[in-house]
Amino acid sequence: MSPASLLLPSAQECRMTVTVSASGLGLRYGRTHALDDVSLRLGRGVTGLLGPNGAGKTTLLRVLATAVPADEGAFTVLGHDPATARGRQELRRELGYLPQTPGFHPDFTPFEFVDYVAILKELTDRAARHREVRRVLAEAGLDEVRGKRVKKLSGGMRQRVALAAALVGDPGFLVLDEPTVGLDPEQRMRFREVIARAGEDRTVLLSTHQTEDVAMLCHRVLVMAGGRIRFAGTPAELTARAAGRVWSSTGRDPGAKAGWRTGAGTFRNVGDPPEGADLLEPTLEDGYLLTLDGDPAEVTA
Amino acid sequence: MSWHVAEEDLRAYARGELAPPLLWSADAHLAGCAECRAVLAAVWEPGALDAAWERLDAELDAPRPRPLERLLLRLGVAGHTARLLAATPVLRRSWLAAVTLVLAMSVLTARAGHSDTLFLVVAPLLPLAGVALSYGPAVDPTYEMTVVAPLHGFRLLMIRTVAVLVAGLALGALAGLALPGFGLGALGWLLPALALTATGLALTPRFGPVGAPSAVGGGWVALLLVADAARESGDRALAPFTAAGQGVAAGVAALAAGLLFLLRDRFDRSPSPFRGGAR
Repeated sequence: MSPASLLLPSAQECRMTVTVSASGLGLRYGRTHALDDVSLRLGRGVTGLLGPNGAGKTTLLRVLATAVPADEGAFTVLGHDPATARGRQELRRELGYLPQTPGFHPDFTPFEFVDYVAILKELTDRAARHREVRRVLAEAGLDEVRGKRVKKLSGGMRQRVALAAALVGDPGFLVLDEPTVGLDPEQRMRFREVIARAGEDRTVLLSTHQTEDVAMLCHRVLVMAGGRIRFAGTPAELTARAAGRVWSSTGRDPGAKAGWRTGAGTFRNVGDPPEGADLLEPTLEDGYLLTLDGDPAEVTA
Repeated sequence: MSWHVAEEDLRAYARGELAPPLLWSADAHLAGCAECRAVLAAVWEPGALDAAWERLDAELDAPRPRPLERLLLRLGVAGHTARLLAATPVLRRSWLAAVTLVLAMSVLTARAGHSDTLFLVVAPLLPLAGVALSYGPAVDPTYEMTVVAPLHGFRLLMIRTVAVLVAGLALGALAGLALPGFGLGALGWLLPALALTATGLALTPRFGPVGAPSAVGGGWVALLLVADAARESGDRALAPFTAAGQGVAAGVAALAAGLLFLLRDRFDRSPSPFRGGAR
């Protein structure tokens, strides 16, 4: 498959109603291509964005959230084109954004902070705004701490405050930049609940390092590396990339691109298996690793 | 009873939608009029009590405004604007304390040295710095969220600028009052303060939220050094504080304000660290 095929919709894309569409997005920081000819289509539901550090995930999210303009290319969100001031404002009315390092006014309580963000989202009627703030705080499981100051909250709780702020105003497009980073397993589970609920009737783009998040939450997944989209498809399709390429052996296998001794004492290898190898069921992570390792031209969906 | 509350008003009362002053008179009247209470009971809609409880609950639940917000509300500022201002870093106590300290020191220096020059040099820089420190990625922890909010970035900037200017100018004027020996001359910093602040903001889209005010502040100090060197022995005031200098300052302030208005859409995007300014 050629790189141009990235622009052609997959069978799944043909079925979905496209809510976010981008073509040829490019952004340079000095000599670095943070984004290099990125095209994508998103529909309702949760789409995962996987990639190593420096892959351009955050830059892509910031561009789609209209925090920074791209140097090249164009995109629309729910029919709004951010190239015009009017379109940008309409897009922002539909946007919920959780940045990678969300900042807080530390003296605010979660209620005050989310209320502040609600005002930025033009909810000026006090009664309606407070109702909405209460709703999203409950949604994010913050009912019990809404009167505490943000600076007294744990990292996981703060992350929930940021998520509540992203959800306020019932946005149609949610951009979440690594929301589960630094959370313990229980907190991560609660986050997944909220994100999955949000994805039922919205377009959610979720950047993460956790292939587990993608496997559990996402109906679609994009893999980025070096500022380019290297894979776009379903989690099952990404997993299928590793079919027949994961095997078990008793010792370290020199043919493996990655291999490690498991708790059972045998080696789990990913790469090109030798003849007659004991093949294992691949996981999403295996597919992801092989996608990063492969030639960009051949790893499209 | 010579009068009764209109039935329509009683319905609104039952729904909790009757506004003052009608609400107050209805309240007072109902306490003493059994007839109106009967009408009220008749028009009471099922579910209204639940709605009223919910409203009361929400009211009790809403956070109590902080002192700054309460002051702003008392001054007639709308609730949502007061909340936006409460999130302005430089309206916090630490900044106001720093401004007060700097002004107090320059006033003391002026009184001891019988010259108001230091005060006049320092005072215009404080609003410039205050406005610069009230927005931008370096000082506003929620900057990224603010940028992508539909509320126009320029509007937020102006709300904060006006608040910082009012606070800064009020403190400066108070400090000026502490220099009675210098008469109206002690207010000579006002127009330069406006000119510097407006210029600093107008240059921000080009030079960034740190570069622009730094350059303008540096320019102001350089200008005063030049004016000092060029001052003839008979002159008491530095050039910016003479009548002509004040006229120039007013002109610069007006021009910069116009330029700022033209560039208002440029405050809607995040500045890229590699391109030097907001695009």
